Amino acid sequence: MTDKKINGLVRSFLNCLIPIGLAFLIGAIVILAIGENPLEAYGILFKKSFFTPVGFQNTLHYAGPMILTGLAIAITFKANVYNMGVEGSLLIGAFSAGIVGAFLTGLPSIPTKLICFAVAIVFGVAYALIAAFLKVKFRADEMVVTMMMNYALAKVLEYLATSVFRDSGSGYVCTPMVSDAAMFNRIFGKSRLTAFFFVVVLLLVIMYIVMKKSKLGYEVTAMGLNPEFAEATGMSVGKKIVIIMMISGALAGIAGAGWMLEDQYRYTLTFSGNPGLGWDGMLIALMGGHNPIGILVAAIFYAGLKTGADSINMYTNIPKEIVALIQGLIVLFLAVKFISEKFALAKKAKAKKEA
Amino acid sequence: MLHLIESILYDCVYHSAPIILCVLGGMFAYKANVLNIALEGMMLNGAFVSILTYHLTQNMLLTLLLTVVSTMLYGLIFSYLGVTMKGNVIIIGLAINMITTAVAGFVLVVMKSANIILQNFDLNALKINIPVIEDIPVLGAILSGHPPITYFSLAMIFLMYVLMYHTKFGIYVRVVGESEEAAKSIGLRTDFYKYAAVLIGAVGCALGGMNLSLERLGLFTNDMVAGRGFIAVAAIYCGQGRPVQSAFYAILFGLSRALAINLSVYAGNAAGLFDCIPYILMIAILAIASYSKRKNIKVRGF
Repeated sequence: MTDKKINGLVRSFLNCLIPIGLAFLIGAIVILAIGENPLEAYGILFKKSFFTPVGFQNTLHYAGPMILTGLAIAITFKANVYNMGVEGSLLIGAFSAGIVGAFLTGLPSIPTKLICFAVAIVFGVAYALIAAFLKVKFRADEMVVTMMMNYALAKVLEYLATSVFRDSGSGYVCTPMVSDAAMFNRIFGKSRLTAFFFVVVLLLVIMYIVMKKSKLGYEVTAMGLNPEFAEATGMSVGKKIVIIMMISGALAGIAGAGWMLEDQYRYTLTFSGNPGLGWDGMLIALMGGHNPIGILVAAIFYAGLKTGADSINMYTNIPKEIVALIQGLIVLFLAVKFISEKFALAKKAKAKKEA
Repeated sequence: MLHLIESILYDCVYHSAPIILCVLGGMFAYKANVLNIALEGMMLNGAFVSILTYHLTQNMLLTLLLTVVSTMLYGLIFSYLGVTMKGNVIIIGLAINMITTAVAGFVLVVMKSANIILQNFDLNALKINIPVIEDIPVLGAILSGHPPITYFSLAMIFLMYVLMYHTKFGIYVRVVGESEEAAKSIGLRTDFYKYAAVLIGAVGCALGGMNLSLERLGLFTNDMVAGRGFIAVAAIYCGQGRPVQSAFYAILFGLSRALAINLSVYAGNAAGLFDCIPYILMIAILAIASYSKRKNIKVRGF
């Protein structure tokens, strides 16, 4: 490896590690302030989610949809298209898959699941296309549009879940449970891990090839670096925006359908958690540097935090919101490059060795 | 019928005020070319700190002070990371939105309550009835009987217009946004103007949040801002950062919200659907505004 490559690797590693360290440090101060022991809390957090077999399988289970939303965010953010609608695509995909899964009966397991996923993809893509269309044809800022759409969609789904598709047999607002044929079963019984995780891994490999080896991936990078230049070289930037928004919507739709069929089984008003899986995906994409391998590592790390949040809640007196706070702080510090590109690490290390 | 219209227009003023404040504050950052999408989180912080402080101290002056100062602190974090450290402002904005929600949620759990409701808090005592206007039939019912910050927000439209277009400060902020090199070449401290622009936004959001929770309802829940900060961002985009136009779009949102609330009584089961009208309206307006802005520009690119 050349000096330049080593520099790049070390730099991106440190630029990821410093924010995480700072965020945990501030989290520790907050935990101390309410009179609890931060080391104990962090110990429980990491031990339960990474160093027990069942815990680690659960972590992988939580990581599944987040890997997909992370990829969905990465492919748009990398091209400087700020698609905040991943959360919306995920919800609309999940809702539609949940309804189809509940009312479609009489088919064997695999066709049922395929139909559920197909419907979720159609809705997820259609939702993302609205923003893409407004961006390309009207030049409306996609970030504001997708934000507004998320709020509108949440209201629409709330209405549908409380009236048209409400499960009248249930005491709280939710849609009917999906049929057994649509559900993913747990592989190991004890942990929550299901076969959907292998679907996720497959999609991750495909996205790796798309982003790293294909022409589209190269074009996305070019758009991110300089859209005017990309356009000047003869690329149709508008067309590319539509394509990446469709990919993003499809990935988010699959993530939603998967989460529906493997974990939630019905749409509730807290389906995606708080903050939602789409927002988690944003943190993961940032942490992973918009790189598929980075996203895999970041998603597992972050899913560990999520599993750990429940453990913290169970075994200590610390509110699990502390994890949401740490998450926000990580994003905040990730926005800044602590170690700039001019900082030649490898050269310094070499100079030290020679001296 | 007349009563319904009165009630819709009163609600319009009522719902517009927090967004107007947010818009008027946020547009300086827009003009200085620092996109501040942390308006949402800053507003939430204003709503939260104002209720919390008043709940603990019952002192209105201290509440106002702490609300503004704490929100400006977020503004300082934003500008330090975004301007001085040159971080990605969109990501910093989103992070601040996440952090403010987490902080409020954390404190609520520590207080062992799902929300804060002020006991023995007389909302009516805050309402100001304007002597003469109060007695004018329709106008009185609409314009009179609002809390102080609501009137302040309406006055701010004019004051911010003056600040933006008729003071040195406003001109310098716009110069910094339009051409940073030009600003630097005439010796302006560009970072100073960017900091100032973001901090004005923070003050606006603090007051908007305080209006939203303390003055109007006397309670706080963690989801009460519900995208108003982003609506403000949309309104700023639609009005291209011009005070009167941007405030107009904020009022339009307030009107659609007032319509949704007042008409949903007649909608029966579908009432829930009315809540999404304001958001869809904002998307439509943004699309049209962006289209007409770009229509005559022949430059390629996004």
